[in-house]
Amino acid sequence: MNRKMRGRGMASSWYGIARTATIDRAGAWAELDDGGTAKIVTGVTEIGEGILTVLAQVAAEELGVRPEDVTIGDNDTSRSPEAAHAGATRQTYMIGNSVALASRDARAKLFAEIADHWDVPVDSLRAFNGELWAQDTNLRMSMDEAVKTCKGRGVVPVGSASFTAHGTGLDPVDGSGSPWQAYVFGTQIAEVEVDTWTGEVQVLGIWAAHDVGRAINPRGVEGQIEGGVVQGLGQALMEDYQTEKGYTTTHGFAKYILPTSLDIPQINCVIVEDPDPLSPLQAKGIGEPALVPTAPAIMNAIYDAIGVRIKSLPATPEKILDALRNHVPGREQIAQSARQDRAEAHRRGL
Amino acid sequence: MPKIDLTMDVNGRKVVKQSEPHKRLLDFLREDLNLTGTKEGCGAGECGTCSVFVDGKLVKSCLMPAAKADGAKIETIEGLARPGSLTPVQQAFHKTGASQCGYCIPGMVMAATSALRENPDAGIEEIKERLGGNICRCTGYTKIFEAVEIARDVIAGRLPETALDEDATGESFIGANVRRLDAPSKVSGRLKYAADMKMVDMLQMQVLRAPMPHARIVSIDTSEAEAMEGVACVITSADVPGTDGFGVFVHDQPVMARGKVRHFGEAVAAVAAEDLITARRALAKIKVEYEELPGVYAPEDALVDGAPVIHDYAQDNVIKHIPIRKGDIAKGFAEADLILEDEFRTQQVEHAYLEPEAGIAYVDHDDVVTVLSPSQNITHHRHMLAEILALPINKVRFIMSPVGGGFGGKEDMIYQGMLALAAMKTHRPVQLNFTREESLVASAKRHPSRVRYKMGLKWSGEITAIEFDMLSDGGAYGMSSEGVMRKAAILSCGPYEVHNLKVDTKVVYTNNTPSGAFRTFGGMQAQFATESMMDMAAEALDMDPFELRRINMMRIGSRTHTQQELTTASLDRVLDAAEEASRWEAGAPKVRGPRRNDLGGPDTRKPCTLGARIGEPTDTQTKDERVAS
Repeated sequence: MNRKMRGRGMASSWYGIARTATIDRAGAWAELDDGGTAKIVTGVTEIGEGILTVLAQVAAEELGVRPEDVTIGDNDTSRSPEAAHAGATRQTYMIGNSVALASRDARAKLFAEIADHWDVPVDSLRAFNGELWAQDTNLRMSMDEAVKTCKGRGVVPVGSASFTAHGTGLDPVDGSGSPWQAYVFGTQIAEVEVDTWTGEVQVLGIWAAHDVGRAINPRGVEGQIEGGVVQGLGQALMEDYQTEKGYTTTHGFAKYILPTSLDIPQINCVIVEDPDPLSPLQAKGIGEPALVPTAPAIMNAIYDAIGVRIKSLPATPEKILDALRNHVPGREQIAQSARQDRAEAHRRGL
Repeated sequence: MPKIDLTMDVNGRKVVKQSEPHKRLLDFLREDLNLTGTKEGCGAGECGTCSVFVDGKLVKSCLMPAAKADGAKIETIEGLARPGSLTPVQQAFHKTGASQCGYCIPGMVMAATSALRENPDAGIEEIKERLGGNICRCTGYTKIFEAVEIARDVIAGRLPETALDEDATGESFIGANVRRLDAPSKVSGRLKYAADMKMVDMLQMQVLRAPMPHARIVSIDTSEAEAMEGVACVITSADVPGTDGFGVFVHDQPVMARGKVRHFGEAVAAVAAEDLITARRALAKIKVEYEELPGVYAPEDALVDGAPVIHDYAQDNVIKHIPIRKGDIAKGFAEADLILEDEFRTQQVEHAYLEPEAGIAYVDHDDVVTVLSPSQNITHHRHMLAEILALPINKVRFIMSPVGGGFGGKEDMIYQGMLALAAMKTHRPVQLNFTREESLVASAKRHPSRVRYKMGLKWSGEITAIEFDMLSDGGAYGMSSEGVMRKAAILSCGPYEVHNLKVDTKVVYTNNTPSGAFRTFGGMQAQFATESMMDMAAEALDMDPFELRRINMMRIGSRTHTQQELTTASLDRVLDAAEEASRWEAGAPKVRGPRRNDLGGPDTRKPCTLGARIGEPTDTQTKDERVAS
């Protein structure tokens, strides 16, 4: 065996969007504000995934303004409608759709006034990027003017909405039920190099294909996939919080080893868009699912490289060396040829 | 305590200040100068969030006593660009989406700036090495690398400045790479996280934590601590006015240990004092008498007859068992040509968000008890705290501060109750900032799991039956355990239509650090086992792993493990996309690494050998040239 051995492995995964086995809900308020800007208020904020930007894109698209014109307000139980929690791969799906619906509600108030003002059918109105116009006419105004006109007629263009995802509980006996209304699927391939002298594994490449529904911000989706892959890589190869008879022995980052810039494979993201038919945005989510297939893909790749299967995470250098040491050369192949012989006998028997 | 005089040049301005001799440069910058763009992530020089320039050299300010920086020229994140403008490095971070939660980002921007100052022509491998002392938990580093390369090329004039601009938007903002709206405040260090905020007259809280994993509390004597000058209050579970208990599913965790401690590091009492040092000193004056109890440290041991009971309500130590049954596994295994059995284990994993837990509580003019913290679930926290404080729900208010990484770890209300109690007792704002060590012992982890797996297949590759049995260590409190087991069970056998299955997931109490919500919520542990089994099955069947998955994959109309009929399913397209993108060479997974022809492509990185590249003449191709070549 060469010192450094390479191999590849793959793994697939699936995941449900939003809260599990229960009804999920989120509320939002929207207002087309002075200057053609917009206010969105909802009870949840950024935890790093980029939801504020996604919500600004959604509100801008629905209201006809620009994302930078959108102010997203208080994530505060006394000042904003309930949007429940920041987790469960539910932010884009739950909050995104509630903001879309609230924005449509606000836009409808504005459009009704402008249609009356221009004396055109309301369904001829379009708004995008700070401008509002009536199709097949020369009627056009900025959103700034539109809001002024609307307010001048005595109407503040405000909207609100609640979005619901209809999950059901599981039967206590056989577990049957419909825990989610939207599912995503993923597949990742890992390419690794194993140093058979030191037991170290380096992941050189990851190919990550994930269905996310409609991608609101593709670069943001990539960021979620890359972050998930690296957390999966950390769990696969190095991270290990340990206790000894209940006492923590992993006191700090000196003992708790995390992936750094030198551990990062080239991550090749492929975004697959299978639109969700049950929600206005048709988006699904990617926060959690990106992590699921990484560790098994890496373990399958290690096996491909050196014929050693790690069934207990993480695959530390110590475990790899130990497995190599206790590895009977050719054992897998012997077992395999025995299985093939049996398979052949079976086929002939048929 | 005698003060020391410090003189520094900070961001181009002369600073003369008296300070305390114990302070680190980090404390001096954050507390005395309010330069809170420099963050504390670990306090031990491991994470790099506190990186600043001292006399032009990149330094971790948590490792440098302030007195040692006396007379030095200091540059922090706030000093890189004039207010309202960003450096090319910061603009590039904005463009590529290199900031997510943003907590590591000021330090990362400092390290990237340092890398390009030290070597304006640094190649990507050298850049990676120079960023090696800075941990990012969100981004997977990839967008950061891209940003530093763009910034390098713009600074060197190899790319036009327009390379830093936002991508153009077409006819819709949906599907457009709109730049992150929160990035400018993150790359410039302006965004205030909970630990960066100050309120007038604010007290600092410190927490006394259990020194053993399982013990009865015989007595707590706080009198000496309370009598100390500068101590505003000491709180214990005796101060809880309402129903003491929180948890995502079962409310089994008291705000502070009540009667007994169940894990090492559990909160037992807390002090709010005029300053951090006084609060820490007061902890040492609290006398707690413990009677140690036998503990449970492995989930298997928790289920043994006569095992120590950790919570009275759960005499069998079981937090939750989720069963799923479909079809007839006896029949399914009888039909199988091949039966594989194995066992898989996963470890306990820490979220390691770079922002340790932090928060502020105060009672406002309307007597509303207000808690500001990076909570991932302000809605549920409000419900629970109202019960704990015996207040109407509109008298409890939660504000979600910017979250410096969560990943599920900030769903548990492990410190907000203490803050609220101290604010109510003193009617002053109270702040608590965890150290990294506290965060590690007190916050929930990913559930460690053991899965026993039995899979039956036909020679055709069709799965005929699966028996899946997971046992997880929930640790001392329930937290999200129930939901984690439910999700693990629902997703257990992977994205495959299996007609006969028996799935059981069970989680038990032990005296280990609690397990809770962590990105995938049990899905990862379950599918690690399934995907390992699938490859082992593919090997035994002499079949390409993609083919085996295609034979069994869920399709439109498939019934899931919980017998839900799918109206959409995309695994077919996802498998195709992954196979094509990776140039996968088809074949059974039979240790064929040495013979593969699809390795080492342009879409992989070179293996890394530490220290090998710095100083080497490196490639100075622009990113575009490299992509093109």
